Formats: sequence, C-alpha cells, structure tokens
Amino acid sequence: MSAPLLLQELERGFAALSGRQRDAAGLGAARREQLAAALADGLPGARAERWRHTSLRALERRAFSPLPASADIDAATLAAIPGPRIVFVNGVFAAALSQLDGIDGVVAMPLSSALETGTARDVDFLARRFEAADETFARLNAAFALDGLLLQVGAGVQVAEPLALVMLGAAGDAEHAVHLRHCIQLGDGARLTLCEYQLAATPQAHLVNSLMHLHLRSGARLDHVRVQAEDAGATVLARSDVVLGSAADYRRIDLEIGANLSRHELNVALQGKAARLSASGVLLADGRRHVDTRLQIDHIARDTACELTWRGLAADRGRAVFHGGIAIRAGADGTAAQLSNKNLLLSANAEIDTQPVLEIHADEVQASHGATVGQLDEAALFYLRSRGVPEQAARTLLTLAFCRVVLDGIGNESLRERTDALLSARLLQVAA
Amino acid sequence: MATEHNDIETALNRRYEAGFVTDIETEYLPPGLSEDVIRELSAKKHEPQWMTDWRLKAYRHWLTMPVPEWAKLKIGPIDFQAISYYAAPKARPKSLAEVDPKLLETYDKLGVPLHERAKLAGVAVDAVFDSVSVGTTFRKELAEAGVIFCSLSEAIQEHPELVQKYLSSVVPIGDNYFAALNCAVFSDGSFVFIPKGVRCPMELSTYFRINAVNTGQFERTLIIAEEGSYVSYLEGCTAPQRDENQLHAAVVELVALDDAQIKYSTVQNWYPGDENGVGGIYNFVTKRGDCRGARSKISWTQVETGSAITWKYPSCVLRGDDSTGEFYSVALTHHAQQADTGTKMIHIGRNTKSKIISKGISAGRGQNSYRGLVKVEKSASGARNYTQCDSLLIGKKCGAHTFPYIEVKHPSAIVEHEATTSKISDDQLFYCRSRGLGEEDAVSMIVDGFCKQVFKELPMEFAVEAKKLLEVSLEGAVG
Repeated sequence: MSAPLLLQELERGFAALSGRQRDAAGLGAARREQLAAALADGLPGARAERWRHTSLRALERRAFSPLPASADIDAATLAAIPGPRIVFVNGVFAAALSQLDGIDGVVAMPLSSALETGTARDVDFLARRFEAADETFARLNAAFALDGLLLQVGAGVQVAEPLALVMLGAAGDAEHAVHLRHCIQLGDGARLTLCEYQLAATPQAHLVNSLMHLHLRSGARLDHVRVQAEDAGATVLARSDVVLGSAADYRRIDLEIGANLSRHELNVALQGKAARLSASGVLLADGRRHVDTRLQIDHIARDTACELTWRGLAADRGRAVFHGGIAIRAGADGTAAQLSNKNLLLSANAEIDTQPVLEIHADEVQASHGATVGQLDEAALFYLRSRGVPEQAARTLLTLAFCRVVLDGIGNESLRERTDALLSARLLQVAA
Repeated sequence: MATEHNDIETALNRRYEAGFVTDIETEYLPPGLSEDVIRELSAKKHEPQWMTDWRLKAYRHWLTMPVPEWAKLKIGPIDFQAISYYAAPKARPKSLAEVDPKLLETYDKLGVPLHERAKLAGVAVDAVFDSVSVGTTFRKELAEAGVIFCSLSEAIQEHPELVQKYLSSVVPIGDNYFAALNCAVFSDGSFVFIPKGVRCPMELSTYFRINAVNTGQFERTLIIAEEGSYVSYLEGCTAPQRDENQLHAAVVELVALDDAQIKYSTVQNWYPGDENGVGGIYNFVTKRGDCRGARSKISWTQVETGSAITWKYPSCVLRGDDSTGEFYSVALTHHAQQADTGTKMIHIGRNTKSKIISKGISAGRGQNSYRGLVKVEKSASGARNYTQCDSLLIGKKCGAHTFPYIEVKHPSAIVEHEATTSKISDDQLFYCRSRGLGEEDAVSMIVDGFCKQVFKELPMEFAVEAKKLLEVSLEGAVG
C-alpha cells in the first residue's frame, strides 16, 4: 500500500527544502529518519486507540504543500494583543510584528535564527525521536520544523507583563502545511505569563502542526493561556509536552474555539516532588467542526497534584472529543488528582465522546473523575424567561456561565478580560 | 503498627476451599483443535447437521481473527493446540438418581445441593462438570409452569426451533476472538426458556466446575424471557488448584421480550492461582443481554473473586423503548490476579435507562481495571445513564484503573459518570480499631460496606456466599 496523498506530498516537499535548511545544526539525519518513520507507519487509522474518535481519512486525501507562503500583515491586525510578543506568519518568524526587546532576564529568539547561528546543543530538543507508530504528526514536525519560539526565563526572574506567542495564518485558500516547534524553559523560581494564540488573518485551508516543549524547574510558575481560534477551514494539530520540576506550579487554560479539525495533545509529567498542575479548557464544536483534546497527566513524584476542568459544547453537526488520562505511578504517594468534564449536547446531529481514564499504581492517593453529558437546565431557563429574558438570550447566558468557570484561573486581570471577551463573542455565534 | 501488619500477614494464608480434584473416570478428546476435532465433538453430542455447520463456520472465522490485545492484562501466549476441548465423566447418567455419587459429593463439598437438599434450598440447579451437564434439578416442577430449564445440548435435541431462533442472535459468531472460539467448541451450558406471562417459580442456578486437567471449559448459556415473564438466574464457578493455567471461554446470551425481566447473578470463584501467580483460570467471557422488547429489563450482578485473569464485560443492548439495563459488579484482585472487567450499555430505544455500579478492590500485586462503554445512539431520545465506579487499593504494589468510554449522539440524553480511587482511610481504620475490632475484621467490615450497593442486588444465599468469599480472598491482604 502506498502512503496516503498527504504524506506523499509532504515527502516531495521535504526534497524541495534547501540542503542548508535540512541539515542545519547537524539535524539532517534525524529529520530524514523521522520522515521515513512517518511514511512507513502512515497515518493512524480507526483501529489506533488514541485516534479512535478522530478520523483522518478526509485529511489524508488532501495535499498540503510544505513551503510556507509569505504574506504582508498590517500590524493593526494585532492591535488587540499588546507586546511583548513574538509573531509567526504562515510558520515564519515575522520580525516586523514582533516586540521582544527589554524583558530583563529573558532570552527569546526564533528557532530559525538559532538554527542559523547556534550550536546543536541549543536545539537539541529537535533531535528527539518519536517512537510510537501513531505519533505521525510529531514525527512530521521533527522532520519539517524550521521555526518556532525559543524562550528561556532565568532563575528567579519574575516577568510581570504577559508574553504573547502568536501564530497567524494569512495564506488564504492555499493548502500548505506549517510546522512549528517551540521550546520554553523556566529556571528555578521563575515566573511568567504566556498567551499563545493560533489565529487566522484571512479564511484558511492550511494545516498547522505545532509542538511545544515546556520545562518548569523547581518552584517556577507559568500561567499559560492558549486560544485556538483558527479559521473554520483550517486543520490544527497541536501537542504540548510539559515537564514539571519540584514544587513547580503550572496553570493552563485552553480555548479550542476554531478550526475545522483540531486535535490537541497535552502531556504533562509531574516529575518533581509537590509539582502542581491546574488545567482547564473549553471545547467548542459547532458547524461541522471536530474538536479533540487529549490529556495525559503522569504523576511520577510524591505529593503532586492536578486539577483538570474541561467543558465541552457540541452544536449543529459538530463533534467534541475529550480524553482525560491520569496516571499515578508506583511511589507517587500523597498524590491528589481530580478531573471534571461536563458537556452540553445542543443538537440532534452533534456528538460528544468523552473518556476520563485513571491508571493508579500507588495506594496513598486521592483520585477522582467525573464526566457528564446533558442539556441546559430547563428550570434555570424557565427562571430566566419568567424574569423577561428572551429564550435565545437566556440560552446564551446559561451557555456562557457553563463555560466561564474555566477562566477563573487567570490571575492577570486584563488578560482575563480579554480572554473572556474572546470566548463570549465566540459563544454568541453558537445557535444554542 | 508495621510489625503487627506483618504478623497478620504471616498468620493468615489464603485458602482456596474449592481447590480439590475429584477422582472420576473421564472421557477426553485428545488435545488439539481442527475441523476434525469439531466434527468429532459435534458427533459425540449427536448434534444435527446445522449445529455442526454453525460450529465450523465459527471456527473458520476464528482462524482469521487476531488475539485481542487492548485489555490492560499481561497474558502469556495461549497454546490452543495443547487444550482438550472435551472432557466428560464416563458414566452417563439417565437421571439425577443415577449420577455418580462421587460427582454428587463434589457438588456437596462445593455446597451446591443437587439432590434432596435442593428441595430444602428451593433453587433449581443445572450442574456442569467439565464439558457436560451432569444433572438438572426440579425439572418437573418447572415444566408444570411451562419453564424449560435444561442443558443446551438437550435443548438442541428437544427444542431445536428455539435454539436455532435465538442462538447467536445476541452475540454473533464473529463477535470477538473468544466468542468465536466458544461457538466452535462449546461443550454445554444451560438453556432457559420462560414462556409469555410466566414468573419463574424459583431461582434457577448453574454451577460450573472444571475438574479435568489440561482442558478448557467453553460453556454457553442461552436465556429467553418471553413477553411479561421474569426469571432470576444464578451462576457459580470453581476449579481445582493446579499449576497450569486453564482456559475458560464462555458465552452467555440473554433475550428479554416486551415487559420481560431477567436478573443474572454470578459469583465467580475460579481458581485464582497461588501467591506467585502460578496457575489459575484464564476467564474470557462474553456476556450480553438484548432488551429486545419494550419496557424489558436486564440486570447483571457479578462478584468476581477468582481467576488468574478475568476478561469480562456483561453488556446490555437497550433496543426496546423504555427498557432498562443494570450492571452491579464487585471485582477483587489479590496476589497476582488481573481483572479487566466492566460493561457496555448501548442505548438504541427511546427513554432507555441504564445504571452501572462497579466496585474494584485491588490487593497484593493485583491489577484491576474497569472498562465500560455507554453509547447513546441517534434514535435514543430521553436516554439516561448513571455510572459510578469506585476503586479501593490495599497495598503498595497493586493497581486500579478506570477506562470509561462515553459516546452520546442524542441531545436529550443525560449521561453521568463518576469514579473515585482511594485506599482504606486511616481514619476509618482507626475508628474501628478504637472500638476493639481487629485489623482484619475492620478491613473486612469496611470492604463489606464498600461493596454493599452491589451485594444488596444479589439473592440472599449468594450475598452470604459473596461476602464470605471476599473475606477469604482478602485474608493476608492487610499490611
């Protein structure tokens, strides 16, 4: 069986890369090997457990050219996102739109310049091999990624202003693939707020494949807001691999409110004692959108804690898929793990699939999960209507309230307001 | 405190009371599996041609199927050619009165009353010894009510039209690897038919016993409840203590028509292997109930304390409008036991309801997984599900896992799933101990409380047995 069109086309694109791009920092062999592995194993099918609810059959028949198109973006487009910020347009660092100066104790640069000027050690994360047959997109990322954000916050540095990472698509209907690789490290006791935006400047039909490595050392704290508001024609494949050191505190909010097909894998390893993770998110699947989020939280050390709160909405012909995996390894005593996934199914043609999973190998633990699928509370609706709120407005109000709980964790007030406005505006479009 | 725990652990050794072997003359088919073996097996049972063809079809399909590997179980490869697919006591009784006294003694030892004592207990029993049914009690009384309760082999001879109509109508031949194998080589099992409007006058019960060495037991049970009927069915299982793993791959099919109710209770106590995981039964069971009629109800209750490996998902297909499915389960794994068990509730009809209560207890190095699917199809308006699965951990080396799948396609459905995992809290233990209870008693009491929701669904005799089994199985677990 020959490789699906998607992969064939990417293989052709790889050959079209310049030798300098391919072999920068001595990564040529690793890139070729990962591409070969992706081609050999193909795309995961319906029998692959981790892709059980997300079919790639339509995607594999599409051809994405790997060469990013250049585009001119008016800086006004990004007026709503204040600096400091780093911007990638169609997968390429946009210096004119980025503002990275003047953050003390922080080293921030695009991966493209590190590949040109740096040593292999600076980009050693790019040499990581992905062994599992269903890690096709991570392998493709390893083969193709030439740009992304490299960020190091020094030990003890407390960055007050939120730093924005913006991935902007502006290619229009051209079907091209973008591969971005980010690596963010926080030193001991460092503190940062990161806002990650995946946005479209024009209607899009592209594929964005981004992979982020995050490492928080002892006592570091990262507040991370990720907004995926791609155009309804786009395909987003995102993966975040997070490692938490002892007493690190990672708080994250994910709004999955865009794209035609979106898959996000969030893998967190709580490696240090007393590391904490608080993650929450909204999955919004309206229209014909397919939104899939997959969490794999791995409690390795003692006294670690996680609290996961996800809300799902499926309307029209949309499908929201959620997998919340929590593993507690032997020896990770004193762990507290909690997951809540509530979903609203708003239409007869929509679908919700949820799978909260616990795998526990230690006994001094408290672990629980809860998942529900239901509708808006009729009694609450009735109450609002009896107070003169029109039905549509009442439904929107209740839907907002249902989702807003995830925003509570954002400490920075102006950021919370901005995020709330984004979410609210988007929810108003949903025909509840 | 730690030394005290150790004392208890050394003082108590786990007992498997049903681990004896009955010395009885047994007729075997030589080990191995082929079309000829299946033909021979079918001939031995004097089966009609359609049955033989059905078996061969299943066998050919089985050959094409891969061994399922998705369960969270560590299973060594199974050599299907080393197993004998038929073993039966040589003397063939014509009636219960002629049954070999040694056999009756076996069932007496197990506490299963086949003879006079049955009358006192008031439960009709079908006893299956290795591959064949050795006797069914209370047939006359049941016949008067119109109930057919006999072995499946007899049913194939005497009620072929019913068997042909319902066999494999719930679990198709190629449903899964072990079900297909069962179709090919199943030896015997129980057949129950409750006619329209009849409330079965007594509890029906089957007792399965694996005795012969190097055999597999592949029983098949078929229960049909016609419109408005009711039956409560109990199933128990034991096996001798041996160092080899023995295979048990059963299929149970339930059919409930309009307004019918079937209550199916299992206490599974196959030999679990020793402390080091040597020996024990590999228990691969496909159980499925079809709520075919409106307002029908199927309720599964299981207490799983035995087997080295349990792979079992009693399920309900809620086809009829307003039908109800229930699943109550206690699964215990101790020492090196592994269990991957749970249920599937498939909502197809309107206003269908399902409830899942699963309690997993892991001790020693036991691994216990709940795996469940709640699926609400597009047609199932007003569907409702509630799932609760709790796990209790006793010891540092055990594991408890939860893999629920929830798939909802109807916007009026309400589905709820909750799961918790914890160990027995020190506060609870301390409270009991301060009231003068010994550590083992305290644990046993807490475990009993943990399982109460399930035990109360069991018929009384079974509830007592289940509680006792749990106590015995948990001995030596505290520490």
